[in-house]
Amino acid sequence: MEINVKKKPDLEFRAFYVFFLIASIQIGVGILGVPRIVYLEAEHDGWISILLSYFYIVLVVWTMVYILRQYKNADILGIQVDLFGKWIGKILGTIYLIYFTIGLLSILITYIEVVKVYIFPDMDNYILGGLLLILAIYTVLGGIRIVVGVSFIFFFLTQWVHFLVIQPILNFDILHFQPVLKASFNEIVSGAKSTSYTMMGFELLFFIYPFIQNKQKTNKATQTAIGFSTAKTLVLTVVAVGYFSASQLTRREWPVLDLYKLQTFSFLERFDYVIVAEWMMVVIPNIVILMWLITYSAKRLFQISQKTTLYIIAIILFICTILISDHFFIQKIIDLSSAIGFWIVYVYPFLLLPWVWIKNRSRKRKGNEKHAKA
Amino acid sequence: MRRSGSNDKNIFPMKIEELEKLLQNRFENNPDLSFTVYDHENKKIAVFFISYIVETQWVHESLVKTLLEGNEPWTNKAILNNIPLAAAAKKTKLQELLDGLLIGKVFVYIEGEDAALSYLLLKKEKRSLGQAETESLVLGPKVGFTESLITNLNMIRWNIRSENLVMEKYTVGKQEPREVRLVYIKSVANTSDINTMRQRLTELDIDNVDDSSVLMQYLEDSSRSIFPQFLSTELPDRFCYSISRGRIGVLVENSPTSIIAPSTFFSFFESTEDLYMRWNVGSFLRILRYLSFLLSTLLTPIYVSVVTFHYEIIPTSLLVNLGQSRAAVPFPPILEVLILELLIELLRESGARLPTKVGQTIGIVGGVVIGTAAVEAGITSNVLLIVVALSALASFTAPNYLMGTTVRLIRFPMIFLAGTLGIVGIVYGMSFLVVHLLKLTSIGRPYLAPIYPFRWEDLNKVIFRLPNDFQNKRFISYRPKKAIRYSKKDARKRRDIDE
Repeated sequence: MEINVKKKPDLEFRAFYVFFLIASIQIGVGILGVPRIVYLEAEHDGWISILLSYFYIVLVVWTMVYILRQYKNADILGIQVDLFGKWIGKILGTIYLIYFTIGLLSILITYIEVVKVYIFPDMDNYILGGLLLILAIYTVLGGIRIVVGVSFIFFFLTQWVHFLVIQPILNFDILHFQPVLKASFNEIVSGAKSTSYTMMGFELLFFIYPFIQNKQKTNKATQTAIGFSTAKTLVLTVVAVGYFSASQLTRREWPVLDLYKLQTFSFLERFDYVIVAEWMMVVIPNIVILMWLITYSAKRLFQISQKTTLYIIAIILFICTILISDHFFIQKIIDLSSAIGFWIVYVYPFLLLPWVWIKNRSRKRKGNEKHAKA
Repeated sequence: MRRSGSNDKNIFPMKIEELEKLLQNRFENNPDLSFTVYDHENKKIAVFFISYIVETQWVHESLVKTLLEGNEPWTNKAILNNIPLAAAAKKTKLQELLDGLLIGKVFVYIEGEDAALSYLLLKKEKRSLGQAETESLVLGPKVGFTESLITNLNMIRWNIRSENLVMEKYTVGKQEPREVRLVYIKSVANTSDINTMRQRLTELDIDNVDDSSVLMQYLEDSSRSIFPQFLSTELPDRFCYSISRGRIGVLVENSPTSIIAPSTFFSFFESTEDLYMRWNVGSFLRILRYLSFLLSTLLTPIYVSVVTFHYEIIPTSLLVNLGQSRAAVPFPPILEVLILELLIELLRESGARLPTKVGQTIGIVGGVVIGTAAVEAGITSNVLLIVVALSALASFTAPNYLMGTTVRLIRFPMIFLAGTLGIVGIVYGMSFLVVHLLKLTSIGRPYLAPIYPFRWEDLNKVIFRLPNDFQNKRFISYRPKKAIRYSKKDARKRRDIDE
């Protein structure tokens, strides 16, 4: 396996699009439930937790970019092989692959569940699951350029949703946040940890890095994306805590949807229907990006053609969506996904760093020796 | 006609009787080949052509008369010097003779010479210039292309008077060759685009081309998509507007429709009229067209989804009205909508096929009489009548007829999705549409440019139109050779208040 990725130059995209890729994969179904999850851990000091996790993620991204910059044009799959050898490297790569598949499954079934709860209680899972997977196949067949395009366009198609927060902001109660720092440090940290499922997704950078045209701007684009997602999460959490009372907030599975539906117009009531449907446009980039990642990683690791993986994974996911409809089982999958993700996304880059250092040093030494001999 | 390789050999000199036999053989059962042999000063001279595609009067007056009145024995050289006709050429191959005869050339052959002489004296029946039928402008030039390629080329030359205007000639069709012209401005148009188009034209292996719209389907990137990827227009005005901005045009003999590539999705909603209007009015009109595209594809599906599944979305006061108008209708909403949509499509189709005067009558009968009757009979509701009429109206605002029909057709899958999955289905349909548009290309250029790949500088030409001092660049998503039209400095001079 080549450590550096060789690809056609017309597959490259500008670092500008990295912002949209990362921003759209971070914001998915997770954000719908974030205010409640954080509130359960850190109560009304949840905003501190989110800020805390933001600063942590900034560090993680820095580390990731640092690691990637040690190579000319490599992705994490190549780097792992370089550091740990062929076998361990590939096993670690496979863990990524499995993690993405579980992540994709969790997004898919959560969205289907949301639709079932809010709009069609009697709908069979396979209808929406099948339709979404068909769309994912259709998109991924177009390759990375189309995947980037989808994340870019759908980003703009979904931003109007945030104007709906204005209504709850007008009925905001600042008293809900007092006294500040009521939660203990431990609670705040576990609140930060509970946001991990929502904020995940920037590990994508490890994989798309070779495709970025102007690599020097990668860090800026990624950091902006993370700042944007955090700001979004923060605003929604603060508004939810300020608007809902404690008991209201803890009883709602997806408080964000309830925030959005407060706005009404003379021709439109019940915004939740519109939002739940519109949320499909938030979910589709997620599904598409993950699907592409899976096919791409499988090709890098095992030289399986991307089309084969695409169809096989789609069929597996389709069967899974039919079988899984129990709420608690879905929660278990989300927990599993966030548990694997926590280690892979938030801890692993720091573990990787010393290895990269050691490797670099030995490489330099070898280089020097060669130099001395010559 | 291009079958054997032996057609490409020199056949001259040969006996006139042999030549006649050879040609008669090729034009078997064709009484129209006129082959006359004159005896002049002991030399046999043959004049041959196909009678009705040649200006016979010119043949008599300028050619035959001069030939017979001469006193010296004729040679090719003498003929070239003495006959008062332009565009003479020497032809030696049989294939050249056959091709020449078919496009209205007159040949003169003097026995013993090593070449026949040809004169282009074609007579082509054509209609005079008139207004374009499928596209119309309120402001600006109204003349449309005609079926005559020469007339069209003439109009373009008069529109773009530049030595950089290139009109490459190609012949398409193996069995019935037809002349095709590739038109572009060589100092502006992108070279790789020109090469792509050239390659597609030369590699085309078909027996005949019926019309430019057929050729267009052969040349397109994705022939399976519902969206047209090349712009077609009947207006020389619009054609030249596109050419001068670095796009490539294709004209086909005997077709009044020209092809323009590359095209983006947005260029189908563009009209040259936006340029002729004040910039703010032009922008408003353009945004109106985009809005009508959305309206036309989404209005009826939204009605279906709301009435079928989500009546909670509508506020109570509105819902009461809707309920009352639908109370008498026995059908489910999707059936009701399909009936009415079908009615509108029937009206449109019959209006398009019938003569103009009858068409108007049909429009009134269909629209007013059937519409009101349908509501009174309880087949449809009043509200739906408004909705369907509005979306039909909106679909006609696209300046391009092909895009208009596409827009009308996309509505149907949307209606089905809305009827089965409600608003979720509509969003799904829209998403699918966006992905599909993203995947399309037009001679390799992305269809959704400049939205994706994103070009900030191009937005002011696409979504709206800013005043001219902002338009100092060409549409750079097409990567023209010269991106700059005029310097920005001169266009926008900054001045203080009282200067």
